[in-house]
Amino acid sequence: MTSVLPGSAAVGEELVMAKITKEQLDGIKAQSVGDSGNWVRVGMSTCGIAAGADKTFEKLTAQMKERELEVRVERCGCAGKCFAEPLVEVAVEGMPVVIYGRVDENVAVEIVDKHILGKKLLNDHIYSVKAG
Amino acid sequence: MVKAFKKYVLLTDTEQGDPERIKKIHDLFLAVLRVIGGDEEIQVVRTSDVGIYGRGVVAQILPDNIFYAGVQEEHVRQIIEEGIFQQKKLEAIAFEPKDKQLRIVLRNCGVIDPERIEDYIAQDGYFAIHKVLTQFTPEQVVNEMKISGLRGRGGGGFPTWMKWNIARGVTADQKYIICNGDEGDPGAYMDRSVLEGDPHSVIEGLMIGGYAMGATKGFLYIRAEYPLAVERVQKAIIQARERGLLGENIFGTGFNFDCEIRLGAGAFVCGEETALIASIEGRRGYPSPRPPYPAIKGLWGKPTVINNVETLANIPVIFLKGGAWFASIGTETAKGTKVFALTGKVKNSSLIEVPMGISLREIVFEVGGGILNNKKIKAIQTGGPSGGVIPEHYFDTPVDYDQLQKLGSIMGSGGMIVMDETDCIVDIAKFYLGFCVDESCGKCAPCRIGGTQLLHILTEISEGRGKIEDVEKLKRISFAMQKASLCGLGQTASNPVASSLKYFYEEYKAHILENRCPSGKCSRLFRYRVVEDKCKRCSLCQRNCPVNVISGDREKGFVIDAAKCVKCGKCFEVCKFGAIAR
Repeated sequence: MTSVLPGSAAVGEELVMAKITKEQLDGIKAQSVGDSGNWVRVGMSTCGIAAGADKTFEKLTAQMKERELEVRVERCGCAGKCFAEPLVEVAVEGMPVVIYGRVDENVAVEIVDKHILGKKLLNDHIYSVKAG
Repeated sequence: MVKAFKKYVLLTDTEQGDPERIKKIHDLFLAVLRVIGGDEEIQVVRTSDVGIYGRGVVAQILPDNIFYAGVQEEHVRQIIEEGIFQQKKLEAIAFEPKDKQLRIVLRNCGVIDPERIEDYIAQDGYFAIHKVLTQFTPEQVVNEMKISGLRGRGGGGFPTWMKWNIARGVTADQKYIICNGDEGDPGAYMDRSVLEGDPHSVIEGLMIGGYAMGATKGFLYIRAEYPLAVERVQKAIIQARERGLLGENIFGTGFNFDCEIRLGAGAFVCGEETALIASIEGRRGYPSPRPPYPAIKGLWGKPTVINNVETLANIPVIFLKGGAWFASIGTETAKGTKVFALTGKVKNSSLIEVPMGISLREIVFEVGGGILNNKKIKAIQTGGPSGGVIPEHYFDTPVDYDQLQKLGSIMGSGGMIVMDETDCIVDIAKFYLGFCVDESCGKCAPCRIGGTQLLHILTEISEGRGKIEDVEKLKRISFAMQKASLCGLGQTASNPVASSLKYFYEEYKAHILENRCPSGKCSRLFRYRVVEDKCKRCSLCQRNCPVNVISGDREKGFVIDAAKCVKCGKCFEVCKFGAIAR
C-alpha cells in the first residue's frame, strides 16, 4: 500500500491511487483529539452564518490568539437550535459543557472573559447543557 | 489561576409569561447562599432554555445532574441545604426529564467539522463501507436493508431495499445511483443541514448503495441555492478521493466507485425522479410517464436508483449497528427516526430528529416548546405543498407514513409548519397552491390548468366573491388533478385544499356566506370604519387615503365610504389612536 498524502491523487490522472486501509482508518480515529481539552465550537451552517456565526468565529479566533489561550476554536454544522443561532459550544476542563445561544461578538468576548478565564457560566445565554 | 465552582445550579423558567419570576428565585438562591455560606463553591446561573417545558421553574444541579421542577421560593433553602450539602434527593419536587429526540441522521451535525474528513473518520466514518466491502455480498447488503425496514425519506416512503434490489436485478454495462438533494418544500431545510453538517455520511451511504446495486458512478443533485452545501460536498468528495475512499479498488477490494455533483437550478419539479434525471442529462426538467421506472431505465437509459439525502445518511449507521437495531426503533410500518424542520408559530423553531411513532403533540409541546406568545394552536401543516393540514384534535396520532396519510396529509420530506389561531386556513391553502402553480412545469393539462383554476377560486373566496357551489368545484378539480396529472407535483398539489376543506369547512363557509375571515387575515374581507370614541380628529386617515373615500373634517369627524373603499388598510396603519376598526 502506498502512503496517504493529501493531494497525491486525483481521478483521471495516471497516478498510483493512494489506497487507505482499515488500519489507517483506525489510526486516524486513535489520533483524534475528540472532545478532550479546552475548546469552543461554532455552528457554521447556512442558518448560523445568516445569524452572524462567521463574525463570532472570527472574534473567538482573534481573542484566543490575542490572549494566548490554549483553547481550540472549531467549527461544526447545525446543532438544530435554529431559534438561538449563532450557537457556540464551550468546553473548559472541570466545568459543565454548555451550548450558548445568540452569541454575537460581544457575547463571544464575554464567554472568553467570564467562562474561559473567570470559570463562571454566563447568565441568560445557555441553551443546552451536557451533564458533567 | 481561577478555580472552577464545585457545583452549579442552573435555573430555567420552563413556562412563558412572567420574566421576573426566574430573577426572583435566582436572587433568592444567591441571598440564601450568602447567608449560610457556599457562594464560593456553588454558582447559580439563569439559563434560557434546557429543552424542558411546562414545568414551572426548573433547577438542574450539576455535576450530579439532578432536576427539580416547579421550584417555588420556599424550596430554595431546602434545595441548597438538603439537596446540595447533604446530597439528599428531594423526592417531592425531583423529576427526570426525558429526551424526546434521537439523533441518527444528525449524529454528527453540530459535532464534527464538516470540512475535515478526519473528524468524520473519528466518528466511525467510512468504517461501514469497509465492513460492507469486506463482509457483505451485494445480496446481503440488500437483505440487511430489508431487515432494517428503512423507507425513503424524501416523501414517497418507498422501501429503500426494494429500489436497490430492482436495480440490482437488471443486467447493464453501467448503473447509476443518485442522491436527491433538490429540497424545495417551503420551510424545509433538513437536507441542507445534513449536506452542510455531515457531507461524508451522504457520500458513504451512496457508496454502500452503489455496491448493493452494482453502480460505480454516483451523482449528487444539489440545488444551486445551497452554495455552502455544494462547497462542502465538493470538498468532501476531493478529500475522499485523496484518501482513496473514492476511485478504483477501494480498500483493495476491487470495488470501484466515484461520484460528482450536478447543480439544479432550483425548479421544484426537479425533485421528481424523472424530471431530475432529465435535468442531469442536460435536458429541460420535465417529468415523463412511469413505467419504465428509473430503477430499470433511468439516467441515459441505464438502471438508476435515486435516494434522498436523509435516507443515505441513515445507511452507514444501519451497517455499523445492524439492521435489527434500526428496526427496533419506530413503529410497525415505519422504522428509525425522522428529521423535521419545525417552524411557524412554534416557540423554538428548530431542526429536530425524533423516533417514528412520536405524537405531533409531543413534537410541538415537548420538543418545540409550545406555541409562540401563548396563543392557541390551530393546526400543523406537514409534507409541504404535497401535504395537508392536521387540526389539533388529531395531535395524539403517532407520526408515521400511514397514519399521516390516513389524516389526509403525508410525512413528506419533513417540513412541519405550526399554525396558531391568527392563521387563516383559506390563506394557507392559497399560499401552497400558489407555490405549485408557480412551480408547475406546464407539461400536462390537469396540473397546469387545474392548479390555476383552484388558485383562482381560492382567491375569489378570500376576497369575498366566493359562492357556495365553489366548494364542490374545488373538490372536483382536485380529484381530476390527483387522477390525471403526470407526476407527483400535480397529483398532490391539491392536498392542502382537500385537507383544509375536510377539517376547516366552517372557515370556508364564513368566508363565502358571511364575507368574514375568522382569523382576521384576509384583508379584502375587512370593513374599515372610524370608531367615534377613539377618534381624535387628526385627519391623518383622510390625508393618507389613496382613493379619497374618507369624508368629513376636523370638526365633524370622519366617515369611510364602505362602498368605495378599496380595503388597502392604509388608514388602519397610519392611525395612532386605534380609531380605525376592521
